[in-house]
Amino acid sequence: MKLLLKLLILTVPISFLLMFFVLLTEDKSYPGADYDTYNFPKFELETLAGEKIFNSRIEGNDLLLNVWASWCITCRVEHPYLMKLKRQGIPILGLNYKDEREDAIEWLNKYGNPYEDNIYDYKGSLALDLGVTGAPETFLIINGQVVVHYQGEVNEMVWNEVFVPAIEGEGLF
Amino acid sequence: MKIIFLTVFLLSANLLSDSIYNFENEEDELRFNTLVKEIRCPKCTSGSLSSSSAPISEDLKLKIVQMIKENKTDEEIKDYISMRFGIDSLYEPEFRTDTYFLWSAPFILLLIALTILFTRRSG
Amino acid sequence: MIVEISHFLTILATGLFLLSGLFATFINNTEYISNLIARTYSHAFFFLIASFGLYVWLAATDNFSVLYIASHSNTNLPIFYKISSIWSAHEGSMFLWIVFLAIWGFIFNFKISQSNPLKSLTLGILSLVIVGFLLFLLLTSNPFQTILPIPPINGADINPVLQDPALVIHPPTLYLGYVGFSIPFACAIAFLIKGNSDIEWELMVQKWSIMAWIFLTIGITLGSWWAYYELGWGGYWFWDPVENVALMPWLAATAFIHSLSVSIKSKKLRVWTILLSILVFSLSLFGAFIVRSGIIDSVHSFANDPERGLYLLGFISLIIITSLILFVLRFSKIQSIERIKRFSKESFVSINNIFFGVLIFSVMLGVTYPLIYEYLFNQKISVGAPFYTAIFSPIVLLACIFLIFSVDSKWSRRLKSNLLDLPVVVSTTSSAIITLLFLYFFDINDLYMNLLIFVGFLIILRYMFEIYKLIKFRKYINPFSAIAHMALGLLLISISLNSSLSTERAMSLKIDETVKYKDLSINFQNINLSNGSNYDAIKADLLIQTTDGKSVKLSPEKRRYFTRGQITTETAIHASPIRDIYITIGDQLDDGSWVVNIQLNYLIRWIWFSAILMSFAGILLVITHKKSTFTFKKSIS
Repeated sequence: MKLLLKLLILTVPISFLLMFFVLLTEDKSYPGADYDTYNFPKFELETLAGEKIFNSRIEGNDLLLNVWASWCITCRVEHPYLMKLKRQGIPILGLNYKDEREDAIEWLNKYGNPYEDNIYDYKGSLALDLGVTGAPETFLIINGQVVVHYQGEVNEMVWNEVFVPAIEGEGLF
Repeated sequence: MKIIFLTVFLLSANLLSDSIYNFENEEDELRFNTLVKEIRCPKCTSGSLSSSSAPISEDLKLKIVQMIKENKTDEEIKDYISMRFGIDSLYEPEFRTDTYFLWSAPFILLLIALTILFTRRSG
Repeated sequence: MIVEISHFLTILATGLFLLSGLFATFINNTEYISNLIARTYSHAFFFLIASFGLYVWLAATDNFSVLYIASHSNTNLPIFYKISSIWSAHEGSMFLWIVFLAIWGFIFNFKISQSNPLKSLTLGILSLVIVGFLLFLLLTSNPFQTILPIPPINGADINPVLQDPALVIHPPTLYLGYVGFSIPFACAIAFLIKGNSDIEWELMVQKWSIMAWIFLTIGITLGSWWAYYELGWGGYWFWDPVENVALMPWLAATAFIHSLSVSIKSKKLRVWTILLSILVFSLSLFGAFIVRSGIIDSVHSFANDPERGLYLLGFISLIIITSLILFVLRFSKIQSIERIKRFSKESFVSINNIFFGVLIFSVMLGVTYPLIYEYLFNQKISVGAPFYTAIFSPIVLLACIFLIFSVDSKWSRRLKSNLLDLPVVVSTTSSAIITLLFLYFFDINDLYMNLLIFVGFLIILRYMFEIYKLIKFRKYINPFSAIAHMALGLLLISISLNSSLSTERAMSLKIDETVKYKDLSINFQNINLSNGSNYDAIKADLLIQTTDGKSVKLSPEKRRYFTRGQITTETAIHASPIRDIYITIGDQLDDGSWVVNIQLNYLIRWIWFSAILMSFAGILLVITHKKSTFTFKKSIS
């Protein structure tokens, strides 16, 4: 009994401290990326141009959904990379988040439009349904299902580490 | 940030009409106040919705109000949020297979320790 | 120039502390050597204090050639905050921590006589601990780094949330508590090394331990109070990882001082006491590690790199593992020969140790579970208030029931409790009646809340009987212990009632509008622009009137600080013994009205009052502490 106690008194703290060593030195998986898969939530909104847009636009399709706004500074930084992706033939749908229509259109005219279409989510209701907490965020949608949700700016490094593995697995684009 | 509200009716007999959320009764307001303390602000380093004024927190609060008015249960509201913002949005870890240890270990430890103590005692 | 001198003095101090430590551990203990160790320590201490004094001077005189001072202070700050900016971030607060550690050791050196068999060894161990921290400071967290050749004209700004008197005192008080437990720790280790179980190390450290406990208690209370009035969400404890990591040493410290008095009185539970002294200090160090390594996200943690975390973890592991190995080796020497009688006072304290141990375990579990979970399952999980309250409520309740029974218990004798004793019957029935009254009048639904109120009153009444017996019949009970436990009862009652009775509402108000909330009528008088030396503000004036005609004006603000553009909410609080009226303003809505958040926090002042009362009992105990009171009494069976 006494021996057991002595053993416990030594081994428990040592394993505990070892655990912290491991936790401190491990390489974290890419922060900001979520790989939960789920169906795209139902929605009924307008595009920036004023046309109605529904789930049908997304069902069964493979595309990127990029959450952005004219007031979002990081989106401006991310923008050139989106243009590059567009040139590579990747279909990008925009989710204009809590923005003024005119400001958004002016922004696209000024900087360029990487989007095939833009969902105008003034209230952010679709964004909330998607678990969006701000801009920019990007979703990879395969066959109408959300497969990757990335919070933050997409650049070359992020694209290669977060999105490419998911895309290659499916043999898309 | 745009919040769309109905105008407050100042002379309304409903005491809760001054609340920006326009609850129908005090129980709803109490539910809201409790829920909002148990859900994590998705954008803050740490802190509940109650302690955060970040835009996303405000949006979530409105959504919770809406769901309360739609008579959704606390369970349903928490599920909605955890499905979209991660299970780490809930400050109360759900009682599931991988959290059994978390919830039971303290009590099991107490039981074992007290048992050992009492069985070692002389009369 | 001055910063280089300060830096050099610290290096010098490090060398001298190292010498002091080496003298103690490698050379036989003659009187000459003991004096040498004491003197070396004193010299090392003086160099360190001189270094820190110079550093304070550098901060007070806006010397921005020092990188740390330039990053955390500026010319516009009042002198009070220029100095306190030293402990507003990692490097400086570490420096303060070490200075406090050295001060405790210096006072110990001064007060304990040279003839004490443990003194030199204790000083030596302390010196080595100090060296470890000084090396950490100098090698990884150097506060003496300079910006050359051209220092900035002005520094950065401190986070406005830190520019507050309570927050100036809170870290130093906490640190004094944390490092204070290095004395019992070093003593315990010295005792283990010496291996002579006749040495009464517990008696030697009792006063020191209680003083350190007092600082910890006050430090945590200050933090809670500050968080309440500054952060704007109206809570006093969030179970944030950094709060938890301060709570754990406090729990261990409380268990330790109880176990300590048993070891002094009847030479029992000595194993527990030593283990607890190691645990308290380890948990203090662990807390420092968690906060400074960046391993846990918290608003409170100092942003840091893993390299510092690794060093700290390594240093702490070294201390903990060597202590525990020593403990295990000497285990049989310290164990008391006599068995503890069932339900004697000693027995109750050992039960107490188990309860506190389980609580510490639970907090540690809650803090580390998310880390482990994320590592294993690559998924984030949060463990927050609901978990901790669910675990603490039943366990604290159960512990308190044992406490109530323990009041009658005797040293080294079995408890002969008669449940029909007058004090027991009166206390129980009165508490039950009071609880039912509260339940009825205030509609308190939660079972645990009601039970905590019941138990709280039971503790208070039970001890009041004992105090009565002390005064009337001279039946001995330690009056300060009684006060401290009654404060505990008060704390439980306050926490429960605060939780059950408090209410809040988010309202919208236009200027000149009046709304009713509970028994108050709130008139939104005005909203104005205002400013301070480093911020712009919007200030709302609200007139609050109660139904019995009393009125008070509250002016919450929203401030925008120039340097960082940071926006803070300043709460407006009307405090009274029964409740706080707590108001903040939110944003302006589309229709021109303003969001006003109002909270009625019942009995919240009593929560801090209970904690302060507990500390006060401790202070009285220390002041009146006489060695003769604790002579060993032979047990009568």
